[in-house]
Amino acid sequence: MARLRLGLFTLIVFIVSTFAPVAAQDAAPPITLTLAGYAVPREAYGDIIPLFQSYWQEQTGQQVIVLESYQASGAQSRAVASGFEADVVALSLQPDIQSLVDAGLVSADWKEDNDYQGFATQSLVVLAVRPDNPRGILDWADLAQEDIEIITPDPATSGGAQWNILAAAGAAQRGFVAGYEGESGGAKFLRALIGNIAVLDRDGRESFLTFERGIGDVAITYENEVYAGLAVGGEYSLIYPTSTILIENPVAVVDSYVDLHGTREVAEAFVNFLRSPDAQRAFANRGFRPVNPLVRVEYGIADADVEVTPDPQAAPAVVERNPDITFPAVTDLFTIAEFGGWSEARPAYFSEEGIFTQIIAEAQGG
Amino acid sequence: MRETEARSPVAIALIIGVLGYAALLFIAPLLAMINGAFAKGLEPLLATFQDPSVIHAFQVTLLLSFAAVVINTLLGLTTAWVLVRHRFRGRNLFDTLVDIPFVFSPVIAGYAMIVLFGRNGWLAPPLFPIVFAFPGILLAKVFVSLPFIIREVQPVLEALTPEPEDAAYTIGASRWTTFRRVVLPEIWTALLYGIVLTFARAIGEFGAVTVISGNIEGYTETATSFVFRALNDRNNTGAYGVSVLLCLFSVVILIAMNALRGRIIHKEP
Amino acid sequence: MTQIPLSYPTGQGAVAVKRAQAPSFGAWGLRFIALTYLGAFILVPLIVIQVQGVRFGLDVFWQSITRPEATSAILLSLYTSAIMAALNTVIGTLTAYVLVRYRFPGKRLFNMLIDLPFAIPTLVIGVMLVLLYGPQTPIGRFFDTTLDIQILFAVPGIVLALLLVGYPFVIRAVQPVLLQMDFSQTEAAQTIGASAWTTFWRVIFPALRPAIVTGALLSFARSLGEFGSIIVVAGNIPMRSQMGTVYVYTQVEAGNLQAASSVSMVLLLIAFGVTVGIDLLKWRRHA
Repeated sequence: MARLRLGLFTLIVFIVSTFAPVAAQDAAPPITLTLAGYAVPREAYGDIIPLFQSYWQEQTGQQVIVLESYQASGAQSRAVASGFEADVVALSLQPDIQSLVDAGLVSADWKEDNDYQGFATQSLVVLAVRPDNPRGILDWADLAQEDIEIITPDPATSGGAQWNILAAAGAAQRGFVAGYEGESGGAKFLRALIGNIAVLDRDGRESFLTFERGIGDVAITYENEVYAGLAVGGEYSLIYPTSTILIENPVAVVDSYVDLHGTREVAEAFVNFLRSPDAQRAFANRGFRPVNPLVRVEYGIADADVEVTPDPQAAPAVVERNPDITFPAVTDLFTIAEFGGWSEARPAYFSEEGIFTQIIAEAQGG
Repeated sequence: MRETEARSPVAIALIIGVLGYAALLFIAPLLAMINGAFAKGLEPLLATFQDPSVIHAFQVTLLLSFAAVVINTLLGLTTAWVLVRHRFRGRNLFDTLVDIPFVFSPVIAGYAMIVLFGRNGWLAPPLFPIVFAFPGILLAKVFVSLPFIIREVQPVLEALTPEPEDAAYTIGASRWTTFRRVVLPEIWTALLYGIVLTFARAIGEFGAVTVISGNIEGYTETATSFVFRALNDRNNTGAYGVSVLLCLFSVVILIAMNALRGRIIHKEP
Repeated sequence: MTQIPLSYPTGQGAVAVKRAQAPSFGAWGLRFIALTYLGAFILVPLIVIQVQGVRFGLDVFWQSITRPEATSAILLSLYTSAIMAALNTVIGTLTAYVLVRYRFPGKRLFNMLIDLPFAIPTLVIGVMLVLLYGPQTPIGRFFDTTLDIQILFAVPGIVLALLLVGYPFVIRAVQPVLLQMDFSQTEAAQTIGASAWTTFWRVIFPALRPAIVTGALLSFARSLGEFGSIIVVAGNIPMRSQMGTVYVYTQVEAGNLQAASSVSMVLLLIAFGVTVGIDLLKWRRHA
């Protein structure tokens, strides 16, 4: 009888001790979020993801594991469309998200549910030259000189490359490139520029690394990419052209995959978090121009028609400002609207019969 | 041909020329890479090898390469046997097929997989993801290392005389026992050599993996993908460190190859 | 059947051995396994490529391979592989000769290192070359400023990478033949006063020729499909420094699957033609 009671007692203790930890656990098991990014923001997301992880932990008590993949924007977009089950995509340009909408993976209203038209960061197309600028490159026009070697990525895969080409064409069209003004100036300038391209890398990061390794006299790249290089001791001078294009980088939740994985809540929270002040400060510290009005003011980007009143209730900034980063204004800043939006620009320049494709075939074939 | 001592100036010039070429071609770059790995000192290098994503990348590479070796050994041995011992229509066609992975760009293999198993692929949707996941990487490794075992074992199988096997059958041994006791010892060295080559090729595979793995850091990244990514991350210590480690693996493989080849070449036909 | 070099004398060719006692059930099982294996892993990708290449019709197929960039990429692959094969022939033969003929310190180590390009991942090969011959290195800078030759990210860099990848082929094809060579003929030549060169050219070389050709053709075919090292060292300017395999890769990443497939098919056909050619040579010799 005593043995039976002992056995029963042990059994009860065993059952209770097995279930007690489970009962005490109010946190859900860890959740995994997959981020598919374009090539250059890898360091920025490296800063932001831990911030998000602690934010999410605080809000829900759940641990989130973020898996990251970074490659050329176009290539990444195609990978997601072919079956790479990313929950969130952060790409270089809007058309790369549009192709996911067309593929039925992202809902058509991805831009609607926020104040930023779907964008998380901005940047500018800039020029990078050797420290002492031996070729004396100061603006777009200098890139058309004889035997200058230009480094820019390949528009077939790289989003940054498309921004670069359109910046050059736009600057010429708007009359800021001496000798190449006007409607036809754009194509003429591109012809001169493309003839000088030395290497076409797959994405913005690889392109800029090629420049760092000593190839070329000037690199056309993202402002944030030059900052990324400078931050680790790269030696080059950053040159802002008088006229350049405003780069806007979109982020979206991949609806099909988040529903498949059950990660919708955390994915949407992540995308929203990217526009929160601290995440935006983290982006800014890496050289990405923020979209959040408050942070824009903090980093000295003046927007004429925006009134920003700091919220006294807001949480203090977790992220400190990086003093090495400045975001100067350029004389003439235009957007993709200059070309009638991406729906017109992309086919006009980068399709089979596009201006860029034609010029490459001519210029190099001779 | 017998070895002689190098005496004439022609001989010495030849030796120096040949060695010098090899030095310039790969010994010097190899040393440069080792130098590059240690450029920032021992600490960052050690930190690289303790980085969880590096460890994970090696785990992925070694595990999947090992699996590829097992698959290719079992199936490759079977194929070599069938190609040598069976006669059937189309045998020559299949025989020539074996060389394809040897000259096929691996990128295409990866992309063929996407066409087959991708989201809108011919054989999609699979039960579990194949592309952008481990099964895809495994298939890629199997593909690129497929010919080696077959091509190494085939000639030896062909050269076998029928007597020992016939003798085994006459005393009542089963086919399997005959294979195990009579054939296998004869082909063993060639098989091992093929295994070593297969392993080397599977570890080094990069083209297909870069297309179909999604390169998810710390997850589907292989050692070679890591090197590629490290270069892009400006993590030169990491890139060169992992490269040097991969080379160490290669050296071990080299030693094995060398030991086995010596035994193959000096076997009497 | 192509042999990967490092082979050894084979027997009398394939012999079909009929095992009267062997149950054919097991044989059919084996055959099924083997053919499914080859079919699944090799035939299927081939079929996929072909279908993708011609899915819009033969004229589109033709167009995509006659586009300037495509043709240029294919020709660059052929051209650089040919240069490499030619250089490799000479150097490989000499290296094999040196390895077999002479004793010298470090010979065993050297013999082992020959296979290094076989064992190292091709990406690492590319990384190594950039590290030593890249534009910011002393060597690279010397070539660039003094001799005005850009090594890496240009055609010389491509040939360099291919030379490294193809290094073992000729050597390992020739070595076994040299080792088994009958010394008496060379001795005879020397007793009648032939110089070392004449001995080599008239006596040794003809016997080596098949092996040399095999090794060279193999390295050529291998180079046509080389990717890992090229992606790191090549300049990727369409029509100037873009290799066939890199062109295919770019097209795949850019979503032009039809173009990628067509050019792959061309490269594959050429490489395959070469390996079949090697087999034919071998069959002729054994006939």
